[in-house]
Amino acid sequence: MSSTRSSKGENLYIRYLVLGSWALFCLMPVIWFLSIGFRPRTEIITARPIYFPTFSLDAWHMIWSDWPMAKYLRNSVAAIIGSVIIDLILAIPAAYSLSRFRYRGREDIGFYILSTRMMAPAIVAIPIFFLFRNMGLLDTIWALMLVYAAVNLSIVTWIIRSYMTDIPKELEDAARTDGASDLRILWEIIIPAVLPGIITAAVIAMIFAINEFLFTLLIASTPDAYTMSVALANFTGGSDGLIYNAIALVAFLAFMPVFLVVVAIQKHLSRGLTMGAIKG
Amino acid sequence: MARIQLQGIQKRWGSVWGVRDVNIDIANEEFLVLLGPSGCGKTTTMRMIAGLEDPTDGNIIVDGEIMNDVDARDRDVAMVFQGYALYPNMTVYENIRFPLRMRSVPKNMHDELVRRAAKMVELTDFLERKPRSLSGGQRQRAALARAIVREPQVFLMDEPLSNLDAKLRQAMRVQIKHIQRELKITTVYVTHDQIEAMTLADRIVIMQGGTIQQIGTPDEIYSDPANTFVASFIGAPPMNLIDGEIRDGSFIMPDVKVSDVGINSLGPIKLGIRPEDCAVVSSNNSSHNLKGSVYGIEPTGDMTFLTLRVGETNVEIKVNREYRSELGVQEKVVFDPKRLYFFDSDTGKRIR
Repeated sequence: MSSTRSSKGENLYIRYLVLGSWALFCLMPVIWFLSIGFRPRTEIITARPIYFPTFSLDAWHMIWSDWPMAKYLRNSVAAIIGSVIIDLILAIPAAYSLSRFRYRGREDIGFYILSTRMMAPAIVAIPIFFLFRNMGLLDTIWALMLVYAAVNLSIVTWIIRSYMTDIPKELEDAARTDGASDLRILWEIIIPAVLPGIITAAVIAMIFAINEFLFTLLIASTPDAYTMSVALANFTGGSDGLIYNAIALVAFLAFMPVFLVVVAIQKHLSRGLTMGAIKG
Repeated sequence: MARIQLQGIQKRWGSVWGVRDVNIDIANEEFLVLLGPSGCGKTTTMRMIAGLEDPTDGNIIVDGEIMNDVDARDRDVAMVFQGYALYPNMTVYENIRFPLRMRSVPKNMHDELVRRAAKMVELTDFLERKPRSLSGGQRQRAALARAIVREPQVFLMDEPLSNLDAKLRQAMRVQIKHIQRELKITTVYVTHDQIEAMTLADRIVIMQGGTIQQIGTPDEIYSDPANTFVASFIGAPPMNLIDGEIRDGSFIMPDVKVSDVGINSLGPIKLGIRPEDCAVVSSNNSSHNLKGSVYGIEPTGDMTFLTLRVGETNVEIKVNREYRSELGVQEKVVFDPKRLYFFDSDTGKRIR
């Protein structure tokens, strides 16, 4: 009896050790950012590694005072949230249609939507530049919103579509015989049932959007529309040389929004909401 | 209140036939069961009544009104699905209330109606639960409550009990029949389980390959089958079908002889006899109908199934529970002469 108990305890201990090591491994870049970001510039490049650096807020103050970091952050967040909203408004009905209705060319349309993701973005970079210039949208976050939304629309549509395809047809049949219209079914039955999929798609779109660089650089020619990713790039070529601790902090800031979003909604990222509708 | 007429219903997907020439007249307040093996077209027929499928041809008429072009949500039917189809994001209460909201039933009546339906299926204590925290039987009852809450013209039930264990199924069967009688609502019920069909139905429609084989009361279906399919589909164990031929007015096959069958046709024929219409007689009886060796003995408690090997055929006989024997023993059997059926060997049709 006691031997089984101790082996159980040991198991738990090993489990924590393994999971802890893995977590440490995954968090290493973040820890490294923070460690570099909050040390003086003189302690960054040294012959011997410094494991316990002096704590310094120099770089922290610098990025907020010398650079309009708050504005970049705001631009990033606004462009990303806007683009995800646009994506969801367009992708949810599209995914519903692609997963449920039968019509000629349905598969082709689905493939066409996906194919927009298949070419290198650089191919359309020039046309997009002229398009936005003609619309007078260059250097605005509205343009960024539209571009991010366009880039991510296909992937968002396909993720939501795959979740919707998994919803038993019976649920919709039931709602229809209960007297619900197509829109009511979409709104009251389908969307709640695929919420984990919608959230997953939104998070993935956010990650792509926050990392988007090429189009942002193209559209944002002044700091008015700079986002974190472009700001990050500008740090490498400053007149003061490479400011590694500031770069680390900006990288950390660029990573935070997505991190916070994922932490807030991680419960929904796992599937399983439809369980119980159909015999488990 | 609803009488449902299906007139010449056909359903075809390209070259695949789902349902062929189905004609059924379902009386008001009737409990009609569509029975058949999977793929026989019974669910398709029901879905056409619900408006979830459009018939390729024919008319669906409810109380004299052709419903073919009426959308599912505008037909006053409620359906219970095999997989329950409860809305996973809503509580049991909201699930049951959903049809009331969709049909614009005045809000102040919702609570009373939901609670009444929940009470009928004994689910009052579970109203605040989500479907995923209910057991299979509770989910089934929630689905049933959602169907009865607004007292539709027609109930449609698509194998509602097939996911439940045997004991629960029996209890739910009684409950469904009770509720149907109490609410007096025309009901169409699809199943592949003959016991469900026999116990629930006012009339049974037996289907196979998209066509109707026979329509009748459970008693008619059981004691007056129209063809070999119906004969062998109903009954546990099913009716014995023995190949043989008619010679001089008698049914003849090696080890089987039935005299004076009153049929004149010549050539191959099938003799049908139910296991309970056979009786084992003592070995010195010379007027027996069948002789065979014991192939298997299956006691079930209240009675025993005896299988005799006759030539290449197995014949099942219900004997009383005191019966004892050994494999290989020769037994003689007599048939109840009033309970003999003859079928055409080629078409399977009953010869009367």
